[in-house]
Amino acid sequence: MSIVNLTSEGGKPVSFVDEVIASGAMKDIYVSPDKTYVVGFFRDTQDATLKERLREITTRYRSNLFDKDSGDFWKDYFCWPTDTVEHNGRIGVVVPFYASDFFFQYGSVKDDMLKIRGKDKEGKWFASASNREKFLDPREKGNWLTHLQICLSISRAVRRLHMAGLAHSDLSYKNVLVDPTKGKACLIDIDGLVVPGKFAPDVVGTPDFIAPEVIATQHLDREDPARVLPSRTTDRHALAVLIYMYLFFRHPLRGRKVHDPDATRDEELSMGERALFIEHPTDDSNRVRPEDLRPQSLPWGDPAQRPYTMAGPLLTELFDRAFIAGLHAPEKRPSAAEWESALVRTMDMIQPCSAGCDMGWFVFDNSRAPVCPHCGTAYRGKLPVLNLYSSRTKGSFHADNHRVMVWDGQSLFPWHVNRTIFPNEHLTAAQKKRVGYFQMHEGDWYLVNEAMPGMKNVSTGQDIAIGDPVKLEEGLQILLSAEEGGRLIQVQMAGV
Amino acid sequence: MRRLPVYILLDTSGSMQGEPIEAVNSGMETLIGALRQDPYALETVYMTIITFDAEAKTILPLTALEDVVLPQITTPRSGPTHMGLALETLGRQVSSDIIKSTDEAKGDWAPYLFVMTDGKPSDTQLYQEQCAAMRKLGFANIIGCAAGPKAREDDLRPLCDHVLRLDTMDGSAFSQLFKWVSEVIASGNKSLGSNASAKLPPPPPEINVVL
Repeated sequence: MSIVNLTSEGGKPVSFVDEVIASGAMKDIYVSPDKTYVVGFFRDTQDATLKERLREITTRYRSNLFDKDSGDFWKDYFCWPTDTVEHNGRIGVVVPFYASDFFFQYGSVKDDMLKIRGKDKEGKWFASASNREKFLDPREKGNWLTHLQICLSISRAVRRLHMAGLAHSDLSYKNVLVDPTKGKACLIDIDGLVVPGKFAPDVVGTPDFIAPEVIATQHLDREDPARVLPSRTTDRHALAVLIYMYLFFRHPLRGRKVHDPDATRDEELSMGERALFIEHPTDDSNRVRPEDLRPQSLPWGDPAQRPYTMAGPLLTELFDRAFIAGLHAPEKRPSAAEWESALVRTMDMIQPCSAGCDMGWFVFDNSRAPVCPHCGTAYRGKLPVLNLYSSRTKGSFHADNHRVMVWDGQSLFPWHVNRTIFPNEHLTAAQKKRVGYFQMHEGDWYLVNEAMPGMKNVSTGQDIAIGDPVKLEEGLQILLSAEEGGRLIQVQMAGV
Repeated sequence: MRRLPVYILLDTSGSMQGEPIEAVNSGMETLIGALRQDPYALETVYMTIITFDAEAKTILPLTALEDVVLPQITTPRSGPTHMGLALETLGRQVSSDIIKSTDEAKGDWAPYLFVMTDGKPSDTQLYQEQCAAMRKLGFANIIGCAAGPKAREDDLRPLCDHVLRLDTMDGSAFSQLFKWVSEVIASGNKSLGSNASAKLPPPPPEINVVL
């Protein structure tokens, strides 16, 4: 196989094996001889805008993201194009190869019967109840906590793009690689970025993820003012669909309702102007009929068995805004930053299944005797719940709508101690360190102070020195920090 | 939920004997293998294979992709190419297989049809009648492949939306053809351009698309 050697726009040597390894909607992909990067050539003849856009993405936007203090943080979140090349009149982008976590290590069941070992972990494998149930090797599937982490990674990456004024324009399970074993995700296909007023989108998106208003207006001419094209607002729809699919393994709009006898037209209507949430609280006309599903799609395919509310109150509220209030009112859709915040807090409300079932984790349902919704096992043991409050004015504390469940391995971090700290790219090395942990001793739970200088038992008025434990009991109040934004916790006891 | 039925019609007339039919067999394995590596296809694709020579045989009735076991495709020593008969058989099959949408339940996606031949139809009159009949069956896309020097694109045009020309009939040409077919089938979950309607993926360099 012949190798093509070029010099990039940035003046670097670029080589690739002259054989297409994959084809997308816009590009043909070639791989470098050492397999450390790929080159994607745009099939359509070059135009000045494309060239200009790619140059901006590989230089200015890239440098804004990665050449800053928090630059290293983002390296795992994006597979960002590094350079552009020209060859035989076509423009190509140079993109680093994905990290090895995003390729199947074990693949499918029965000694990889589908021969997908070594292939990339396209999200659809994990976003589909039947594929997960029937084909994936259990070692590839991760658990419900890693799926929440995947959603957090995606939300973070999208939030960062949106902060920079950019829209991805084609978020889909093809363009978001996921690794459920470690709970990671990485955005790829960055070359389609949309900059409002500057670079218009050249794709409308991928079916399943295209916003209803884009589908409803796609018959109009591109220049028609009523035509809706991808933007940050439509990214928000795609993001909500991705999160829903990675948590519930089904599509939020694919239910029983028939809008037209013609399948293509029906698809257009059910994803477009007449899109309706399958779990809409009052309109039940698009409910999933379990008999329509293949048996291997159950239980996740049936929302009655795995309702979206199992993701807890914070995510439920965002799903409501995305698929009920905001489905046809784009301005009401939650932003990526809101998803990020809700996911971070939801992960504090998660608890392990007492039976250690495959899904392994579930969100606390606010009941005294929680039961794992995946396997039906009741939680065994005492379960302290820490309700977080923070001070706005001296001496008065307000509920933060944030709870931390106490289980073996749970820890307190600076973002629990102070309301003004949020776990994101701005954390300093010191802020990433654990400041307290929980320990079970003779049937009781203790919180051990590791690095909270101002910790105090408010109920007794005693200081809790670093290194000292405090027993967690119903009604106990502990001040974690007396500083501005410092938190107070109120303990509730659930479980038996 | 919705199934995507895919019908594959393969020419097994005498002229396919030897290397060509071996190449078709391994090409079909490539096709099934490639589709099974696509999580979208695994959820939706159902497949039927009909072979035709003097007879038309449904060697694989509509089967979910995951359950497909490929039968060995063989060819007689000699004999005509009854493509009209094959289409007639296909028509009956399609009418009985396809689940239509009702007010209450969603039916199948419009099916795909791929026809591969290395010759020309021997039952010309029936073939012409059937070409017209196929139009009424509601295929989403009919793709024809004229393989080898004797096949004529003109014969396939009345039937097909797209005609491909395969100049050589060796293993690598068929393997590329069937790989491309798998991409067409799985294209439902790819990004859509903002300018045009649904397009076929670009064919591999060895195949010519005749429009």
